[in-house]
Amino acid sequence: MFWLAEGLVYRRQESIIHSLDPRVKLIISFSLFILSLFSSTIFEFIILLSAIFLLGVLSKVLRRMIKTITFSLTFVIMIFVINLLVGYDLIFSIVISLRFIAIISSSSIFFLTSSPDELDLVMRSLHLPYDLIFAFVTAVRFVPVILLDAIQIIDSQRSRGLEIEKGNIFKRIRNYIPILIPLIVQSIIRSEELAEAMESRAYGFSKKRTSYYTLHFKMKDYLILCLHLMLVVLFILLVYFLHL
Amino acid sequence: MIEVESLYFKYPLANDYVLKDINLKIGLGEVVGIMGGNGSGKTTLIKHFNGLLKPTKGFVRIFGKDTREESVAYFSKKVGLVFQNPGHQIFSDTVWNEIAFALKNFGFEEEIINKRVKWALEFFNLTQYKDMSPLLLSGGEKKRLCLASVLAWNPDFIILDEPTVGQDFLQKEKLIEIIKMLITQNKTVIVVSHDVEFIWLLQPRLILISNGTIVKDGDCKSIFKDNSILEKCGITKPQLVELYDELYPLIEQPPVDVIEAYSMILKLLRGLK
Amino acid sequence: METLTEIIRFINFSFSYSGSNSPILKNINLLIEEGDFVLLVGPSGCGKSTLLRCINGLIPHLYNGVYEGEVIVDGEPVKNKSVNELATKVGFVFQNPENQIFMFSVEKDIVFGLENIGLDKTEIDDRLSWVLRALDIEHLRYKPPYELSDGQKQRVAIAGVLAMKPKILILDEPTSLLDPRTALEFISLLKELNRKFGLTIIAVEHRIDLLTNVANRMVVMDKGEIVFNGCLKDVIENKNLNLHGVNVPPVIALQNYLRNEGFIFDAFYLNVKEFSKEIKRRLLEID
Repeated sequence: MFWLAEGLVYRRQESIIHSLDPRVKLIISFSLFILSLFSSTIFEFIILLSAIFLLGVLSKVLRRMIKTITFSLTFVIMIFVINLLVGYDLIFSIVISLRFIAIISSSSIFFLTSSPDELDLVMRSLHLPYDLIFAFVTAVRFVPVILLDAIQIIDSQRSRGLEIEKGNIFKRIRNYIPILIPLIVQSIIRSEELAEAMESRAYGFSKKRTSYYTLHFKMKDYLILCLHLMLVVLFILLVYFLHL
Repeated sequence: MIEVESLYFKYPLANDYVLKDINLKIGLGEVVGIMGGNGSGKTTLIKHFNGLLKPTKGFVRIFGKDTREESVAYFSKKVGLVFQNPGHQIFSDTVWNEIAFALKNFGFEEEIINKRVKWALEFFNLTQYKDMSPLLLSGGEKKRLCLASVLAWNPDFIILDEPTVGQDFLQKEKLIEIIKMLITQNKTVIVVSHDVEFIWLLQPRLILISNGTIVKDGDCKSIFKDNSILEKCGITKPQLVELYDELYPLIEQPPVDVIEAYSMILKLLRGLK
Repeated sequence: METLTEIIRFINFSFSYSGSNSPILKNINLLIEEGDFVLLVGPSGCGKSTLLRCINGLIPHLYNGVYEGEVIVDGEPVKNKSVNELATKVGFVFQNPENQIFMFSVEKDIVFGLENIGLDKTEIDDRLSWVLRALDIEHLRYKPPYELSDGQKQRVAIAGVLAMKPKILILDEPTSLLDPRTALEFISLLKELNRKFGLTIIAVEHRIDLLTNVANRMVVMDKGEIVFNGCLKDVIENKNLNLHGVNVPPVIALQNYLRNEGFIFDAFYLNVKEFSKEIKRRLLEID
């Protein structure tokens, strides 16, 4: 079942980008995301997407970034066609589609290069309450686990003759009952077990919880952050103010 | 008959094959044990036996029919799969309905459904719970219920995935009894298990899997004597085979159960008196 | 031999979960000494799991119910101790390690518990490197849970509780999901922890043949009561064990049959090698 983790989740890798402070990665990813929202010509998107793909190459996640884009290709095509149909011109429809691709790929930079743990550290550095952080981390941690549960349940019920795709729309909705009930029950059981394990590890009972991990900017982080911000400013000046 | 011919399988998006070049024929009236280390591909293999998974390359045929040609429901009627965790299937409001679920899916008539459910409840000592919620049963009873809900539609092949996990002695005894009875009805039972002592008591045809390939397919007596193969698959010896190893040539064959071991040792000790 | 000290004691203890009218544990009296390796067995639903949860304080701190009598761990009643304190005395490894690993790397998961009890950075550093070495999982340090095999997950689960430096380690069917070889390796790890660090271990296990060579105590439960309790060698030769759902290993069952037939052995042999040696010795004697 490893394929699930492979396709959807962060994978450990080493690259210049991976080793950056997660806050820097977040800033890079987020600024590109914002620029994607405000860009409006094909030329701007060519620059933005080249920058994003360059980051993809540097962090060795280009292949998976493209995979993510291919997954969303149906949406892109839909957006493109709908725009054409409602009467927008070709250029505008292309721009809208490119914007969608840029949004997806810019945000994927952070998620493909940072483990959920790093997001945990970012949240700690923002002094969010630990309960909230822990809830977030475990939620992300157990998404693939619960997905596997769902696959097992579907397999079990299909082996008992359940045909999910059979019947009219109402019958089809009813077909999901034998899958949803065990999934809910299993998730409740799992959360009970989690609660036991958490309590056995003294979670939530100490007033003075310490933090072993702290984030520190290194020289590399400062350099790359400065370089990135300079490029962003340059882009904004050239494109928005000088209308190149 | 289940026929597997040069079966290769990998999950979508994955690079590596989980199953490689599997060739198998399993007929009626057999007891088959499938063993192998964690992650060796056992569960992936049995999911091919009712069409839940389709081969990436090669063929799986059930009674001559390619699993790609018909629905999972079609093949499940002949090949009943009982998965390890009852929590992955129990959902009905009553024990009765839990057993009736599959029978309804397969389109049996009301009268037959009632007859089969009643039989299954009695056979598995669950009659007193018939109107109770299955979620309230104990772990052992839930496992029994899952087996009951599959045997109720009378499939020709019954596949059990780790049936002994969390089962105590009495429940295991009962399970062996049921398997032996099924064989007398010319059914085939395929057991996937880590439990060497349990497998030994069944004396099955044994299939060892390692890294997605079949390492050995044969009589369990000869396989359990073969140290290098057991080592390769991460399987330990049943105590009675160990006993044979230690006492050979004083005893010529590994005893199949404690009673036989007892009479062998008794003969040794008495014969020389 | 060193003088043994009491570590766990149940005194006239009964418990029923709230909402249930029959007690799940009835009048339990049990004494466990420091350094014991206890094998706890019994049919499903006999109350084993509940008993374990009384030792580390999940009962009564997480589950409510009618709590009668006393459970004393390391000299003090469990119900008076804070959960925090108990977590550093009693480590609990659950059947499914998946639900016990919260973080995205082995290191961070071990650190999780240590942060919870408020240790400072140098202390965490020390314990981290100690526990990774003790369990031989240094190579897994930065791996996320989904890259671990089932056996490795079980070790990581132990690492997480062992880092808290407990005196007692409790395991609820720890090998039920493992293949035979991995299970054996895991059991020998437990043996090492017991011998090397003097850790008191209590393990629930259905495949008792795995543990007969490492445990020194055996407790058999049925219907909420303790039916047998004592030195493993004494308990295991009891002929009625299988009536209480215990999977008696074949070599033990065999000796019971032979004893019935009038063959007396000096000792009860727990493994096949020793038993076979004895048979061979007898045959030579007869010759």
